[in-house]
Amino acid sequence: MAKHIAKRILITIPVLLGLVFLVFFMLNVVPGDPVTVMMREHVKEDLIDRMRQSMHLDDPFIVRYFRYIWDMLHGDLGISWKLNRPVTGLIANAFPYTLKLAVASSLFSWIMGIPVGIISAVKKNSLLDHLSMGISLFGVSMPVFWVALILQNTFKNVLPISGADSWQCYILPTIVLGWSSAGRIARLTRSNLLDVLRSDYIRTARSKGLSPLKVINRHALKNALIPVITVMAIQISSLLSGAAITESVFAMPGVGGLAVEAIKKRDMPLLQGTVIFTAVLIIAGNLLADVLYSVIDPRIRVE
Amino acid sequence: MKRTLCLLAALALALTALVVPAALAEENDNWLHIFLTEDPETLDVQMTSDSYTIPLNCFDRLVETDTVDGAAQIIPGLADSWDVSEDGLTYTFHLHEGVTFHNGDAFTADDVVFSVNRMMEHDRLAKNYDIYYGIVEGAAECFDGEAESVSGVTAVDDNTVEFKLVKPCSSFLSRLATPGGSIFNRESTEGVDDFGVNPAVCFGTGPFQVTEWELGSKVKVVANPNYFKGAPAIDGIEMFIVSDADTQRMMFENGQVDVFNFDYAESQLQWFKDNGYADQIVSGSRAGTYYFMFNTAIEPLNNPNVRKALQMAVDRQVILDQMYSGEGQVLSTFIPEGVLSFNADAEPIPYDPDQAKQILADEGYADGFDMELAITSDSDAGRKISKTLCSFFGKIGVRATVAEYDDATYKDIRHNGQLPSYYGVWSADYNDPDNFLDTFFARRNTVGRSINYDNEEILNLIDEAQGIIDFDERMAAYQKIDQAVVHDDAITLPLYQRNHLFCLNPRVHGFKVAWNGWSDMSFYPITLGD
Repeated sequence: MAKHIAKRILITIPVLLGLVFLVFFMLNVVPGDPVTVMMREHVKEDLIDRMRQSMHLDDPFIVRYFRYIWDMLHGDLGISWKLNRPVTGLIANAFPYTLKLAVASSLFSWIMGIPVGIISAVKKNSLLDHLSMGISLFGVSMPVFWVALILQNTFKNVLPISGADSWQCYILPTIVLGWSSAGRIARLTRSNLLDVLRSDYIRTARSKGLSPLKVINRHALKNALIPVITVMAIQISSLLSGAAITESVFAMPGVGGLAVEAIKKRDMPLLQGTVIFTAVLIIAGNLLADVLYSVIDPRIRVE
Repeated sequence: MKRTLCLLAALALALTALVVPAALAEENDNWLHIFLTEDPETLDVQMTSDSYTIPLNCFDRLVETDTVDGAAQIIPGLADSWDVSEDGLTYTFHLHEGVTFHNGDAFTADDVVFSVNRMMEHDRLAKNYDIYYGIVEGAAECFDGEAESVSGVTAVDDNTVEFKLVKPCSSFLSRLATPGGSIFNRESTEGVDDFGVNPAVCFGTGPFQVTEWELGSKVKVVANPNYFKGAPAIDGIEMFIVSDADTQRMMFENGQVDVFNFDYAESQLQWFKDNGYADQIVSGSRAGTYYFMFNTAIEPLNNPNVRKALQMAVDRQVILDQMYSGEGQVLSTFIPEGVLSFNADAEPIPYDPDQAKQILADEGYADGFDMELAITSDSDAGRKISKTLCSFFGKIGVRATVAEYDDATYKDIRHNGQLPSYYGVWSADYNDPDNFLDTFFARRNTVGRSINYDNEEILNLIDEAQGIIDFDERMAAYQKIDQAVVHDDAITLPLYQRNHLFCLNPRVHGFKVAWNGWSDMSFYPITLGD
């Protein structure tokens, strides 16, 4: 088991290096000079040159890349051109908000999604099934910003619609993000459970006279939830990586909002930092999913 | 069943009590609540050219620009009075005595000298360096690394500071009144690395002091009880960072913010008008020109008659009505109303597509020609307006299309003088025509703006105008330049100037719409109450 996990971790190292190269390369070959964006109109040519020099933009790409890697290994992701602060600090400052939102919306999606999926599977083709699957589909297919606006409009006099000052500020963004995830989990739980319920060992359990509740609880659910748990692990990492739109609409100072601002202002160090941070989280989420999968399902380890 | 219902009701009540936001409960406090669309770049105004709300409220300048009857006027700031020598080369400022910074340090002439020198430090790369560069003696040398300090600014005594200019500059006072002219405290600023990002070390002399800056969330400034012009009537200002226009509007609706600035969210104006807020909307002319600029190096736009035909092809009032509900006025000058030398009697640019077609035919373009309009891809308004312009040009046979560039590429190409003709907006930083005419048409700027203007007589006049001491003569010179670029040479098509529009919570009093083109303003005059 430990060997399997170690192998998975080792595989992520080249993935990370490749990713950093790709991000750095893509953000540095886009056309246009970021200094002209940063500076006001009609600055002296000399000032632009000096600014470019101070930002090391004159150095060859490869020099800049290795400097970036070296600094990154020392925990330094550069200074945000727009906010004039270390990118590492900015991400560290924003991450707790994103973390809280991700955890809350994940919990929301699990608490809502798994029971709904189970009920739908058990009450297959009933009104309840159609209703809950309809609501799930709605959550999955509606654009996040639209759901956010509707909820803001509906609850603007009762709940905070912006900021992250209090726990109440997290209620609406949690529902917005969690609804879409809950929909996915509910649909996945339902389809997996239906598959499992059709299998021979469930039929055997039933024929032994076990109650439907015991059949589902003890026998069906464990197997049905294996793929769901994997999806949940990946889902957390993508939520952690910053729900950019939700954070922007609800004016939450998280990593997603930071990335959006970096894109708008062409703040390369901040954008590089947030993209790499996000990608690392996603890789970590996938790694977690792999590990969880092998913990839950021993067949994977054997393979 | 009844018991269950009672329990549920109690639970619902308890939850409601818990979740009612604090802001709703505090709506009658003596704090002004506003929103900013993004975090300030920095609190150090020497290093930013677009985050002016903090400097305008927390710092002072030697002189200030105030709005009197909708027009800009230079009024005393940290200087009570000033003398200008006859040759226009020496400005002596007599400072207000007894002014203190937020940390209690006394304000002296040395702080002025420090602030000017700090701006011009070679390694600082300050963005607002052009307030002094080439104007104050030694400023350019210092900025270019040829001198250690600015020789043209000296503290005569604790309360007197003297500026020596390289050449007469009639806009000098207006330049000093811009946010970049804010005065810093030598004692608490010199050598401090995090000045600008750390509120704890950011001390000005202004009516408010920054106390809190939560990135991406809010900035708080509290009233300075020792402000030398009198303590503000409000306790402070809470500025929420909110980028989404709908969220901004809902925050205003539920009383979380007191001022809704339509500069940040023009799409919301109609909603406000339709939903009972029309009486709460205040407006004032905004000193900024929306324009269409021709690149005269691109054929056939090198032909002035072709440019005049294109000017006549556009019904500018229609664009103003469609885009901004008619909130503004059509312009026939490049200098907008509110800025010195504005010519209210300028000859109007007619909307006459038939004559425009005739001119094109006379010039050999009866079948029209192809033309591109450049925009930045992030500007929705730019895209809409440029497409409307294309359709107007199409009516006289010109096949105009929109070319989109990302911001950096756009500026890069424009800098090289090769950008196709483009729509844009320029707002007044200070009340002087050189802020408009010099900025666009001066010899050193016309290529960088992709205008490529080559009328030597006018280019020379632009160079000379800044140094003309006689006020009337100077205004006449600028009107002549304006007439040339808009009418005689038709280098640009001024479209309109818009109104500043704000929706105010009824508890806000003393709100004054600023004369200038910024969305930032001082909230010092505001009082709150029924």
